[in-house]
Amino acid sequence: MASRRVKPTGGYELWWWYFMRVSGLLLVFLALGHLFITHILNNVEVINYHFVSSRWANPQTGVIWRLWDLTMINLAVLHGFNGVREVLYEYIASNRARIMVSTIIWSSAVGLIAIGSYAILLFHSDKDYIRDFEDANRGGTAIHAPVLPPTTIARQP
Amino acid sequence: MAQTLITRPRAYRPGLWTRLRAGLSYGGGVGQWSWLFHRVTGIGIAIFLLIHIVDTFFVVAYPRLYDHTVSIYGGVFNGEYYWPLRWGFRVGELGLIACVVFHAINGVRIIAFDFNPKASAHAPMAFNLVMAAFLLIMVPVTVWVLLPLAEPSKHWKMPEARPEGPALVAGAEPAPR
Amino acid sequence: MAATDTQKRKLTVKVHRYDPERDQAPHWETYQVEAEGHDRVLDVIQNIKWYQDESLTLRRSCAHGVCGSDAMRINGVNALACKILIKNLRSDTLTVEPILGLPVIKDLVVDMKPFFDHYKSVMPYLVNDEPAPTTERLQSPEERARFDDTTKCILCACCTTSCPPFWGDRKYVGPAAIVNAHRFIFDSRDRAAAERLEILNDAEGVWRCRTVFNCTNACPRDIPVTQAIQEVKRAMLTGDVGVEEEEGAVALTA
Repeated sequence: MASRRVKPTGGYELWWWYFMRVSGLLLVFLALGHLFITHILNNVEVINYHFVSSRWANPQTGVIWRLWDLTMINLAVLHGFNGVREVLYEYIASNRARIMVSTIIWSSAVGLIAIGSYAILLFHSDKDYIRDFEDANRGGTAIHAPVLPPTTIARQP
Repeated sequence: MAQTLITRPRAYRPGLWTRLRAGLSYGGGVGQWSWLFHRVTGIGIAIFLLIHIVDTFFVVAYPRLYDHTVSIYGGVFNGEYYWPLRWGFRVGELGLIACVVFHAINGVRIIAFDFNPKASAHAPMAFNLVMAAFLLIMVPVTVWVLLPLAEPSKHWKMPEARPEGPALVAGAEPAPR
Repeated sequence: MAATDTQKRKLTVKVHRYDPERDQAPHWETYQVEAEGHDRVLDVIQNIKWYQDESLTLRRSCAHGVCGSDAMRINGVNALACKILIKNLRSDTLTVEPILGLPVIKDLVVDMKPFFDHYKSVMPYLVNDEPAPTTERLQSPEERARFDDTTKCILCACCTTSCPPFWGDRKYVGPAAIVNAHRFIFDSRDRAAAERLEILNDAEGVWRCRTVFNCTNACPRDIPVTQAIQEVKRAMLTGDVGVEEEEGAVALTA
């Protein structure tokens, strides 16, 4: 029998719905992976500037970590803020209020993506601060090298 | 004097708050609870995301402020260690992980139904699978995340601020050593 | 409670009362009713009205699960009062409320106008301007089976008023309207599928659906409501409103 077809509708809400599914699936790996590295393999108590620097400023793997984090925050902010928008739309009926909600949501999302991407892309290790940090913690029990990835910043003997 | 003979009866229209509270008492079962948890965890994660992106911004702007901020997670505030701070943040951390794990598993379930409408017949089983997977992941994670509380904090020391340098700003002219 | 058809049960019935001429807000009233296992919740409510309190107001017509007028919230869940047997109640306390999300006119009667407005908005009628053939507009059994489930809707509003997004957002067209759109979108004789999809392709259309499954559980006609909504979403994405080959063939040509 002949299959009946119509033109796919497309449209704003449809593509947001689709985006929520695709970004959701990607975030399952990106966000759960991020949590696994920071909370299970490592311990939040050892995460500091030194740790971040050893990931992002690593000459070999730094690009991968930065790419991971960049993809993750872009998807997460869009996914999360669109989710909040849809929840608020459900309880806020008037069109004027919805436009206001949309404006607030999307301007804060753009702001967050901007500062997040700025931090990830333009990070450079502050060698003086790292040196001071290692001086302050030498010989103590305090400093722990992160488990992943291996630190490339030379520890002083 | 003209009188309206037929009037619309005064109907009771519960407000938004009353409707939502009445909704909580609806016996929707696991489907409705999953929807509610998905929503609550989603909003929780979005709020944390906002805080987390701002604090990570310090890493490029003010390394010292970044270390000051993240040391709070280990219970250290202004160089002083407070154990309730550490315990509080541990429990909060566990809550965050639980939120993300539930939101992720339940999200996968929703996507599975979205792209396979025929599977809807198995909805009740899928809700149980989500809860089983959630518990399977969260029980070991809870133990693992709370275990370090048994030991003293591994907190590290922040370096002293350089007296002569504009210490807070990264990339500024380094002070002579 | 292993109740049989003839076993008598003493029921405590909590009824949601609201009189627009006296009450500012609804309140609860409690009645004691003795009922047998084969009685229905509707019989219990009518018993109260006939022998205890004649001011109790409810809507019912056929009393046999066909007209869909006596939808109410029974022990927390939407159902037709004429389809719930007393022997199937788990406890001896029976709570009866009007369905949620629509204005309450009196006691158990709600204003159905918003519900029917949403229903009308999706063009719930056959649209085909092509010249009619000399015989019937023919349809294969498979094509008929494609929308068979959604032809069963009796517009009782059990699904729409069980839907959490509808409680929050009264502009949402709701599951019942989408089910009735589905009934014509997938009908091979109809020519307005694209228009209906366009109407439902909106924040207040199918995209407000959060797949909670309350509607599927509430439907007294066992229509897989959530599945129908998902199929409409899928048709918007792919444009495919035809028959899935193998499925219909197995069901009806064997």
